[in-house]
Amino acid sequence: MSALPRRIIKETQRLMQEPVPGISAVPDESNARYFHVIVTGPEDSPFEGGLFKLELFLPEDYPMSAPKVRFITKIYHPNIDRLGRICLDILKDKWSPALQIRTVLLSIQALLSAPNPDDPLANDVAELWKVNEVEAIRNAKEWTRKYAMEN
Amino acid sequence: MGNCLKGSSTDDLSPLRNAETTSETTTSEQPWIPYREVNPGGPIFYPSPGISCSVNQLSEEDQVKIAKKLGFIQHLPTGTYDGCKKNRECVICMIEFIVGDPVRYLPCLHIYHKKCIDAWLMRSFTCPSCMEPVDAALLTSYETK
Repeated sequence: MSALPRRIIKETQRLMQEPVPGISAVPDESNARYFHVIVTGPEDSPFEGGLFKLELFLPEDYPMSAPKVRFITKIYHPNIDRLGRICLDILKDKWSPALQIRTVLLSIQALLSAPNPDDPLANDVAELWKVNEVEAIRNAKEWTRKYAMEN
Repeated sequence: MGNCLKGSSTDDLSPLRNAETTSETTTSEQPWIPYREVNPGGPIFYPSPGISCSVNQLSEEDQVKIAKKLGFIQHLPTGTYDGCKKNRECVICMIEFIVGDPVRYLPCLHIYHKKCIDAWLMRSFTCPSCMEPVDAALLTSYETK
């Protein structure tokens, strides 16, 4: 394996020294580019009380390309599909090397507080979110209880 | 936001699934990345975002595009870091500037290590910090035929 860029070492150190409230990101023991992430569901969202596992991978040309991030815990959200892939502009065409692991995870947490059914990735979820928000939120709470609250 | 459905191929997941193996398989053909100290292999170019290839895989059209980008980047002013307290760290490599480091100034007055920002500008003509287009007027003169 090639030497780890200084930037990745620095970001990892800073994540450990000044963790982001409600977010934990720990590098894998055997691969320093692969992070085990846990995001807590934001207050006043249907995901409140849930602990959501994600995986984050820094590609070879990071920070010139965005980290690859995916939810592992099932989540009922219009911008996250059943495979856990996330529709978030900064992970695609709005990526900038000034962004960091920290800012990416904060943006994902913010996406949980502000679902955007007009820019869907999970079509059925987005449709319900638009036509019957009450039921959609009920589903999201149920999925949170079922999949994100195991002990 | 947007374009998520179009781009939602399974490709997105493969880097994660292969996270453990990719780092080993790619060591023999590492791209040229200036912010990294190790620099083996030949240069890699990025004709479009997300597409990388070595120089002999480039079409003539892509070669022209890259030449134009390089020409454009050369028009942006450079200098050496003067110890200005406002900019302490290059946000791309996250390494502190040292007096005398070659830097490049963008029109929005953000500064970066020359080699760091040049690698980004080959991919996108936006300032990483403020996302301002680097110079729309200059850009047009280089982009149009």
